[in-house]
Amino acid sequence: MRKGTRAAFIAFVCAATLTISACGGENGTGKGNAGSSSAPSASPSGSASNAQPSAGAADKYDPPIEISLVGVTDDTLEGVLAKLSGETFENNRWSKLYKDQLGITFKYDWIAKGPDQFKQKMNVSLASGDVPDFIQVDATELKQLQEADLIMDLRDLYESNAAPLTKEVLTQDGQAPFDAATIDGKLMGIPNIRSSIDMAQFVWIRTDWLQKLNLPEPKTLQDVVAISEAFATQDPDGNNKADTVGLLLQKDLFGGFAGLEGFFNGFHAYPTIWVEDESGNLAHGSTRPETKAALAELQRMFKNGLLDQEFGVKDWGKTAETASAGKVGVSFGQQWLSAWPFQSNHDNDPNAVWKGYPLLSADDKPARPEISLGTYQYWAVRKDAKNPEALLKMFNAYIKKNWGETAEFGTYYLPGDAEGTWKLSPVTPEPPNKNLDAYLAIAEAAANGKLAELTGEAKVIQDKIAEYKNGNEKLWSWAAGYDVDGVYGVMKQYKESDRFMMNKFVGAPTETMAEKSATLGKLTNETFTRIILGELPIDAFDTFVQDWNKLGGEQITKEANEWYRASKS
Amino acid sequence: MIKSRALSRNLPLHLMILPGLLLVLIFSYVPILGTYIAFQKFIPAKGFFGDQAWIGWDNFRYVLDLPGIFQVLWNTVFIAVMKMVAGIVVPLTVALLLNELRKQAIKRSVQTLIYLPHFLSWIILGGVLVDLLSPSSGLVNQALGAFGIKPIFFLGSNDWFPYTMVISDVWKEFGFATIVYLAALTGIDPQQYEAAIIDGASRWKQTWHVTLPGMRMIIVLMVVLSLGNVLNAGFDQIVNLYSAQVYASGDIIDTLVYRLGLQQAQYGVATAVGLFKSVVSFLFISVAYYAAYKLADYRIF
Repeated sequence: MRKGTRAAFIAFVCAATLTISACGGENGTGKGNAGSSSAPSASPSGSASNAQPSAGAADKYDPPIEISLVGVTDDTLEGVLAKLSGETFENNRWSKLYKDQLGITFKYDWIAKGPDQFKQKMNVSLASGDVPDFIQVDATELKQLQEADLIMDLRDLYESNAAPLTKEVLTQDGQAPFDAATIDGKLMGIPNIRSSIDMAQFVWIRTDWLQKLNLPEPKTLQDVVAISEAFATQDPDGNNKADTVGLLLQKDLFGGFAGLEGFFNGFHAYPTIWVEDESGNLAHGSTRPETKAALAELQRMFKNGLLDQEFGVKDWGKTAETASAGKVGVSFGQQWLSAWPFQSNHDNDPNAVWKGYPLLSADDKPARPEISLGTYQYWAVRKDAKNPEALLKMFNAYIKKNWGETAEFGTYYLPGDAEGTWKLSPVTPEPPNKNLDAYLAIAEAAANGKLAELTGEAKVIQDKIAEYKNGNEKLWSWAAGYDVDGVYGVMKQYKESDRFMMNKFVGAPTETMAEKSATLGKLTNETFTRIILGELPIDAFDTFVQDWNKLGGEQITKEANEWYRASKS
Repeated sequence: MIKSRALSRNLPLHLMILPGLLLVLIFSYVPILGTYIAFQKFIPAKGFFGDQAWIGWDNFRYVLDLPGIFQVLWNTVFIAVMKMVAGIVVPLTVALLLNELRKQAIKRSVQTLIYLPHFLSWIILGGVLVDLLSPSSGLVNQALGAFGIKPIFFLGSNDWFPYTMVISDVWKEFGFATIVYLAALTGIDPQQYEAAIIDGASRWKQTWHVTLPGMRMIIVLMVVLSLGNVLNAGFDQIVNLYSAQVYASGDIIDTLVYRLGLQQAQYGVATAVGLFKSVVSFLFISVAYYAAYKLADYRIF
């Protein structure tokens, strides 16, 4: 009998622990389905008849309304929350702002960690019919939502409810962000606008190594190759070991950090975007003959030991370690590289100083950095949502609070060192030129001795530069970016000489693109990697172009051209 | 009377199994109802019971038409079979060896040590292995260098990659099977050994004629169970360790579908592949179970 009760007790404990752990595992708050706003919408600013939008008292919902959303966090956000004591994902300065200024509270159906988990959970929610009031999706998902007739046309709402500043910001990148969200002539999503020019790449070089080896600053792509050769062979870190890398490269071959776009651009090849060929039709840059010439040079560089022999197995994290450890001095990449990973290189070795140079060319024609549409997410509104105009009010409030007349940039976007505080807001549109504008403001103020008169984002950045100059080495990356000779000076050059090579295809992915781009991407990555490694001869590129077309590239090109012709008319 | 005693003796055991049974029911049996997605062009926004297009075998045809699918299938089977074989032989050998140890304390600590890697995730191990196996700075290649062997790019060479996957996976997982075999070993009647010694059997002969036959049932069970994994070459491990350099030998069904599925949320295709794998596994297990029944008189029911 005793044995029986003991066994029964153990059995009960096992069952109980299992049940409890199953219930407690949910990451998000609340398990309700997509509840619409809980208050009667007899609010004054309730419908499309509101013609004079401004963040005044009339904008506030009284009684307050509740909007259902789905949330996503990541490591940056959690790091930020750790620095802002007392604030949580649901309860923070942005949620307070929306509540106090607009009378809007948010109810999160669930919160996912990381974009992958978010995508999975969202697909499951959609499949079970749980669409929140407002949802942020990419162009493909937007199309699916529209086909399933789950979202509403936002054109009129936008026209009547977007503040003038909001309209200015959202159109700063031209019509492309809106075109991408327009399906069958209806605006189905408000673009969460991002910068396109910020996607341009630079050549980042360690200037302390240049000085150490007595090398001049580069003027051509050949100079860059020569510099990387010197860095790889002349022991610039002075430890008598041949352990330095010439040019930094990670295994995906392309991307904002340690990728090859900048190198290819020097050969006038544009491997990740669509360009016009000789007859004015769209062709994909990866299949153009200029790409072959660049690959041949890369193959030669690898053979001569200028690239990390193991780059093929190193992802972003591992590749960044090479930079932080001070084992490399040349890397292509976007403007933010000074913040990551070069700041940690500088932390480990205060002599390590990187500078961003403009992309250089292999011949006498200037190199043009390739860029694509920075906006890739759109806010859609569920068809029967009670207060759809609240979305535009949120946009207005966000933009105004960061960059408008009453801006408190240093509280809401970037307080102290809590970088990424802006992520606490559900909507995060950014004026596409804001970084460049900040640089221009600082440069002009510096030239006229008016640094003390800066306001808003420019002031916050200038304060960081000043603090660095006063000895805070942890803020070096800000100076590398926004000081007078920082990388944004190069961005200014790019803009003034109109050097950007913009992707000519800026529509939503076509049907075959959605199906085949994964396969084509794999083919490209595998072939290019093996050519660079020397496992395939350079003429394998021609076979690659044929295979690319056969595997769906030809169909994709046809569809892209159909879009191109339609968009030009 | 007897019935109620049997019940009260067995009831706690049934209760202990109940949560596990529920989990299997919810997470393994109920999803079978969703298999019909494999025959649809499934768009999440339309909902589970929404107006999805029925496209019959198109998803399967799509997967079979993917370039390099047969290379991928071969990679999957090759790596999976090697893992299965190594996953039987290595733990068995280690269990036999461990059994010879007399000091219980050493035996137990070894058991714990070899079981520990099972709890490490491949994300962590991935980073560790990239460093460990590096041709320029990794410990393994430095050790090989002491014997005058040139550095081998374990993770970057198509010749070595599959074997690297098998060896690292076996290292991580053999602890579990070892413990099972050790348990089986303790179940062998010591009198059999005594009888064999009296008959003049050497250590080897004892192992061959007493130990292994005594473990036969457990070994057959582990083989049949592992056969279900014939198409599971280990997604977690491979996705953390592979790269474009070794697609030719390292890309398996799951990594291929992962790249498709994640990019375009192709639930129909992913379900079709899952269905295909399940059917193949089921066939293998059925055949193996039948063979075990006929050859080793092994049965569950």
